[in-house]
Amino acid sequence: MNKLLHKRRDFIERSLLSALAFLKDATLSEECANRKGFLQSQDPRFKTISFLAFLVTAVSLKSAVSIGTLYGLCLLLAVFSRIPLKHFLTRTLLFIPLFSLCIVLPALFSIVTPGEPVWTFHVLGINGIITRPGVDGAILFVVRIATSVSLVVLLSLTTRHSELLKVLRIFGVPQLFVLTLSMCYRYLYLFATMVENIFTAVKSRVGVVSHHRHGQKVVAWNIANTWNRTTHISEEVYLAMLSRGYTGEPRHLSAFHATPKEWFWLLCAVIICAGLLYKGDTL
Amino acid sequence: MHIPDGYLSPATCGVFGAVMIPIWMAASKRVKKTLKVRQAPFLAIGAAFSFVIMMFNVPIPGGSTGHAVGGVLVALLLGPWAACIALTVALVIQALLFGDGGITAIGANCFNIAVVLPFTGYYVYRLISSNSPAGSRRRVIAAGAGAYVGICLAALCTGIEFGLQPLLYHTANGQPLYSPYGLNVAVPAMVLGHLLVIGWVEVLVTALAVKYLQKQDAVFFDGGRS
Repeated sequence: MNKLLHKRRDFIERSLLSALAFLKDATLSEECANRKGFLQSQDPRFKTISFLAFLVTAVSLKSAVSIGTLYGLCLLLAVFSRIPLKHFLTRTLLFIPLFSLCIVLPALFSIVTPGEPVWTFHVLGINGIITRPGVDGAILFVVRIATSVSLVVLLSLTTRHSELLKVLRIFGVPQLFVLTLSMCYRYLYLFATMVENIFTAVKSRVGVVSHHRHGQKVVAWNIANTWNRTTHISEEVYLAMLSRGYTGEPRHLSAFHATPKEWFWLLCAVIICAGLLYKGDTL
Repeated sequence: MHIPDGYLSPATCGVFGAVMIPIWMAASKRVKKTLKVRQAPFLAIGAAFSFVIMMFNVPIPGGSTGHAVGGVLVALLLGPWAACIALTVALVIQALLFGDGGITAIGANCFNIAVVLPFTGYYVYRLISSNSPAGSRRRVIAAGAGAYVGICLAALCTGIEFGLQPLLYHTANGQPLYSPYGLNVAVPAMVLGHLLVIGWVEVLVTALAVKYLQKQDAVFFDGGRS
């Protein structure tokens, strides 16, 4: 029993893990984005447009087979882009799709989704009827979510995050908003490290917080303290920007360059999406 | 509460995207007026703060932990319009860079988490705290009440968005095309969890953080910033 209690992670360890998971994910993404692979060599603008087209297609299609085709394409692209498949599948299938599968299970039954029965069983005096629309709906739901998550994660893993945020400019997002996003992303590293340091310090000084009320106070105090540090950093950043000549009108330095290869990739993506949208629902 | 891609139909996503555009424009205009050239660093760091609140795990009775969204706390610290932008920035980064929350559902997520949550929470706080002194206990209670109402209303909106899907989008034989549960299941499922557990985590984090900030700088809580 004692051993079990020790094995259970407390809020300090969980908070430490959250901060470390963020740093690990961000570092791995950057490492994958710097590899020499198929998607990494594409211009971020064309890649983002093509992936958004795939995503909208996946969300619009009503056939699990067609969406599965997109998922197959996604896996193929991950392999050609030298993304570690085990990490990719763990990250894309273990969380949101698995959670969605649990959510959708009751919808298999006639009580939620009436229709043609495919399997009837009798447990503890209760008649369970699984229906055809229930099964088809659940498969469609989970396949669509797994495909959507995989597409977004693949885009994020094969594009440097700073470039991915800059791409938002082509969708008419104001420069100031893009600048805010880029600055925020940079400060996330600093803040995640701050959270890690806070909880490492709490752990080394307190060890185990025995009562949840005490733990809640520790967390709230640290959130308030983080806010105080935030306002100081904000002031320092603002002064540093002013000293470098910032006037409130941001400008970006690097431009993207497109080659015929990128146009060809975009054309292929459009053809795939159009084909699936035109014939996909009959599959 | 983050809605992933595939839970909502493209039409629903489009509607919420269209609803959010004027809200973002109004928020930018308001924030530009109050913060001027200071806005980019202030909002960026405010957004990073909203992102990082979710990394803080809060112990709850029974030995488990949960994390707060912190939307109302951010609204009390930055003001509701600046909070709307800061939370939007945090949601975009989560969706685009970490695959947490959908890209197609970004409009719906921003409506629930960056509009309903901070605005209702902020105005409930203003209503209850009214003219009480900056360092008063009433402001701590008001912040907790704001956080509770804000998160539960945001959950209600999410439940309604889920619940409308099978009514609006299904095949001829009744197979749901998106989120499979109707309003009678989706709304209670979303709201009850928030009323009973998640809402209280939000209350604790918001009220205790406000209490500590009051001790350090009571003047800060004499009203919103924007």
